[in-house]
Amino acid sequence: MFDAVFRNFSFLMGGLLITFKLAACALAGGIPLGILVGLGRISKNKWIYYPVTYYVNFIRNIPLILVIFWFYFVMPIITGSSIDPFPSAVVSFIVFEATYFGEIFRAGYQSISKDLVNAAFATGLTYSQTVRYITVPIAFRRMMPSLITQSIVTLQDTSLAFVIGLPELVRRASIVDNLEVRSIQLFGFVAITFFIICYTGSKISRYYEEKVRKANIL
Amino acid sequence: MIEIKNVSKWFGDFQVLKNINEVIRQNQTVVVCGPSGSGKSTLLRCINGLEPFQQGEIIVGGVKVNDPKTNIYKLRQKIGMVFQRFELYPHMTALQNITLAPIKVLKLSKKEAEERAMKLLERVGIPEKANEYPANLSGGQQQRVAIARALAMEPEYMLFDEPTSALDPEMIKEVLDVMIDLAKEGMTMLCVTHEMGFAREVADEILFMDYGQIVERGTYEEFFKNPKTERAKDFISHILH
Ligand SMILES: Nc1ncnc2c1ncn2[C@@H]1O[C@H](COP(=O)(O)OP(=O)(O)O)[C@@H](O)[C@H]1O
Ligand SMILES: [Mg+2]
Repeated sequence: MFDAVFRNFSFLMGGLLITFKLAACALAGGIPLGILVGLGRISKNKWIYYPVTYYVNFIRNIPLILVIFWFYFVMPIITGSSIDPFPSAVVSFIVFEATYFGEIFRAGYQSISKDLVNAAFATGLTYSQTVRYITVPIAFRRMMPSLITQSIVTLQDTSLAFVIGLPELVRRASIVDNLEVRSIQLFGFVAITFFIICYTGSKISRYYEEKVRKANIL
Repeated sequence: MIEIKNVSKWFGDFQVLKNINEVIRQNQTVVVCGPSGSGKSTLLRCINGLEPFQQGEIIVGGVKVNDPKTNIYKLRQKIGMVFQRFELYPHMTALQNITLAPIKVLKLSKKEAEERAMKLLERVGIPEKANEYPANLSGGQQQRVAIARALAMEPEYMLFDEPTSALDPEMIKEVLDVMIDLAKEGMTMLCVTHEMGFAREVADEILFMDYGQIVERGTYEEFFKNPKTERAKDFISHILH
C-alpha cells in the first residue's frame, strides 16, 4: 500500500535530511540568539530592552510564512542580489524561533529569585561563577521541557519552507505526488514520519518535566 | 568590627535608610528588630555590598565596603549571611551546597571541602542529611544547612535576616540553638530577629529600627523594661502579645 513511497524512498529521505538540516541550523542559531534575546528582555538598559522587546513583539505577531516570504522575495529587491532558498530559510527561522526561545530563557532567568543569587554572592562567589554554577544550571533544568517542545515545533515549522521551493520532505512528497498521483499514501507517510519524530520528542520532554518535578526544582 | 557611618539609602524617591550610625564590636551579638518594611533587610544587604547606598560609609574589619577599589568578593568571604527563606541551591545536595564556595573560591580540594562540610553538618546536628537535596529536608534542616554553608567559608562576621520567621514553631528551637552556640563561641553577629528569648540569652545589645532609622539602642533589659519611645513601646506590646 506504500508502493509509491517505496519507489521514491531515497528521494523522500533526502527531503527528510533537508528538513533535519534546516531544523538543526534553525536551532543552532535560534537558541544562542534566544539566550541573548532573553537577556535583552530582562535588561535594565532601555537601549537594549526596547529594541529587543519591539523585535520580539513584532515577529511573534506575524505568521512565520510571511517571514519566510519576506526574506526570500523582498531581501533580493532591497539588496539587489538573489538568495538561495536554503540560507534564506535558515535566516528566517533563526529570526523567528529566537523570539520564542528568547521568551523561554527570559522566564527561566526570572524564575531564579534575587535572594538565591544573593546567597551565592554572600559566600564570595563572583558574578560569572554564580551564573555558571547557579543561575544557568537551575534555569536550564527548569526550561528543558519548554526547550524540547519548542525544538519540536521548529521541526514542524520547517515544512513551511516549501513555499519558497526548498526541497524538504513535504515539498518532495508533493513532487512525487505530481508524478505518481498517490496523495493519500504520500502525505500519509509524511504525517507518520513527523508524528513519530515529534511524539518521541514530546515523550522525552515529558520525561524531563517529571524528573524536574520530582526533584522539586520547579 | 562593623562600622556604619551616616548611611542613607534611597529607592527612587523613597528613603529606606536614614542616616544610620552604628558600631558592632568584635565578638558582639547585636539583635535588630522593628516593624516589617522598616529597612532591616536592606541594612544587612548594604553591609556585605549586595545593595549600593548613596551616602555614608560602611567599614567591615577595616575594609570600606562602598569603595570601588575594594575587592567586594574577597570581603564577602569574611561575612556569612543567612536568609529568611534559606536560599539553598535546589539542584545540589546539602554537601554540595556547603562545599561549592570553599572549592571555587577558597580553592580547597574536594576532599578537604567535604571534610570541612561534614564537620559543620555534625555541628548543626544533621550529618546524616549530607546527600539529601534541599527539597527533601524540613525547613529547620534547610536553615541549618544554610548556616553550615555560610560557616564553611570560616567567616569573621555573620548576618542573619529573620532566620526563623519562615519556620514552623517546632523547628525554631533547633535553628536558634545553633545560633546561640555560635554567639557563645564569640562570633560577631548581626541578627534581624523577633525571637526575644534568643535576644535575652545572647544579645549584647538590641537595635530597634523604624522607618529607616535606628530609634533605640540598648541592652535587653533597657529595651524591654524602659523603652524610651512610643514606637518601641508599641512594638514591644505587639511582639509580646
Ligand atoms: N529593590 C527595592 N526597590 C524598591 N523598594 C524596595 C526594594 N527593596 C525594599 N524596598 C522597600 O524598602 C523598605 C524596606 O524594606 P526591607 O529592608 O525589606 O524592610 P524589612 O526587612 O525591615 O522588612 C520597604 O518599604 C520595601 O518595600
Ligand atoms: Mg526583611
